Amino acid sequence: MKKVDDYIDQAQHLPPAPTVLPQLMQLLGKSDVGSSEVIDLIIYDPALTASVIRTANSAYLGGRQQVTNLHEAVTRIGMSEIFKLVASVIGHREMSAQCGGYGMQSGELWKHAVTSATAAQLMARDLGDDDCLCFTAGLLHDIGKIVLTEVLEDIYTELVERTITQHVSLMEAETLLLGVHHAEIGARLLERWNFPETLVMSVRFHHSPSEAKPHERVAACVYLGNIISNYMGHNYGDLAFAQHGREDALKILGLDAEDVPKYMIKTFDQFERIEQLFCIDS
Amino acid sequence: MASPTLGIFAHNVVVGLADVVVSNSAGAVLATYSLGSCLGVAAYDPEARVGGLLHAMLPDSNIDPIKAAQKPGMFVDTGVPVLIRAMQQMRADVRRMQTTVLGGAQIMDNSGFFNIGKRNYDALLRAFRDFGLRVHREDVGGFASRTMYLHIENGKLRVKKSGQTEEIIL
Repeated sequence: MKKVDDYIDQAQHLPPAPTVLPQLMQLLGKSDVGSSEVIDLIIYDPALTASVIRTANSAYLGGRQQVTNLHEAVTRIGMSEIFKLVASVIGHREMSAQCGGYGMQSGELWKHAVTSATAAQLMARDLGDDDCLCFTAGLLHDIGKIVLTEVLEDIYTELVERTITQHVSLMEAETLLLGVHHAEIGARLLERWNFPETLVMSVRFHHSPSEAKPHERVAACVYLGNIISNYMGHNYGDLAFAQHGREDALKILGLDAEDVPKYMIKTFDQFERIEQLFCIDS
Repeated sequence: MASPTLGIFAHNVVVGLADVVVSNSAGAVLATYSLGSCLGVAAYDPEARVGGLLHAMLPDSNIDPIKAAQKPGMFVDTGVPVLIRAMQQMRADVRRMQTTVLGGAQIMDNSGFFNIGKRNYDALLRAFRDFGLRVHREDVGGFASRTMYLHIENGKLRVKKSGQTEEIIL
């Protein structure tokens, strides 16, 4: 069996490191960050600049005078919203390809990622956790699937069969067939990119949050965000629901079962807005 | 008076998450995408040629009555009455209605904490009982999302499961 790093090395379409993201996160962590520092990060990326200006001028934020430059746009949108926007644009770029290895159509991984991120963020915000961090972790939790999809394309039928006949989760079937699963691959990828440990750990344990100590709260938000995204139909493949129910995710956050439907409703409200902002095709 | 040629111009009418759509336009195909643990509930009166489709997300509106007032289709208990009454206004008769229920996918070993798919289905049976309705065709549970299409012209119902290219006709 191949080693984890072999898969990452051999993936032909490995996503490039989204270097802006950790830098931006570091910036926003400071109490006195100026908008010019944020602008310096975005300004060299045409797609990001365009999205930021477009968002600032969207109906959702405005009706006021049109902004034409990045400086005005950043001021209008606000720092934490900027972060969400940048993370989403980068996510869209990395995750819009078709992933045959998971029975995924183009754009489905992205939709799943944004819905998970949104749900995770909403919970984190209410619970007093770092909501930008949870948004990013939610957005990146399945990034390992981009790496594994090429490998899995040839054995997808077997993966599906194994999951059903052996009554295991999709992730356990990955381990049976490849010796490694998408969450571990994703975590290794983020390590290579020098992402903060919280992100690495919450991606690695997004299917078993209590193992993510001391980052289990972020991992639990991502776990529940992922479940909510699946419930709402933003998922892909034959086996999106072939994963374990982890009651401890609720315990870690001090939530109860009835909070899950409540956050589905909140995510629904938020997602309508996001769809408008990004003009996602359904 | 509807033109008899209308049927050849088939067009999809998308029923979004938490929406209800009813139609008596022969050319319409009501489509709802990607039902996860949500339920897609279709009803069709073959005599009146009236059909309707609901995409409900949660079983019980008591969790958020304000939302239920704005968007009754979000909940099974408020969505089903809206679906049936809107069809009745188009002269559909409950006694003739053919019903199909799809969706309600479930994660593994759910201990009662994450069983929204099953609760949606139970809520549906209760809501149907109030109208004397029963489920004629169904494909619920399992691990995959479903997309469904209801043809108003003849009540034909197509289903596509996520990850599969083949459609099934129910």
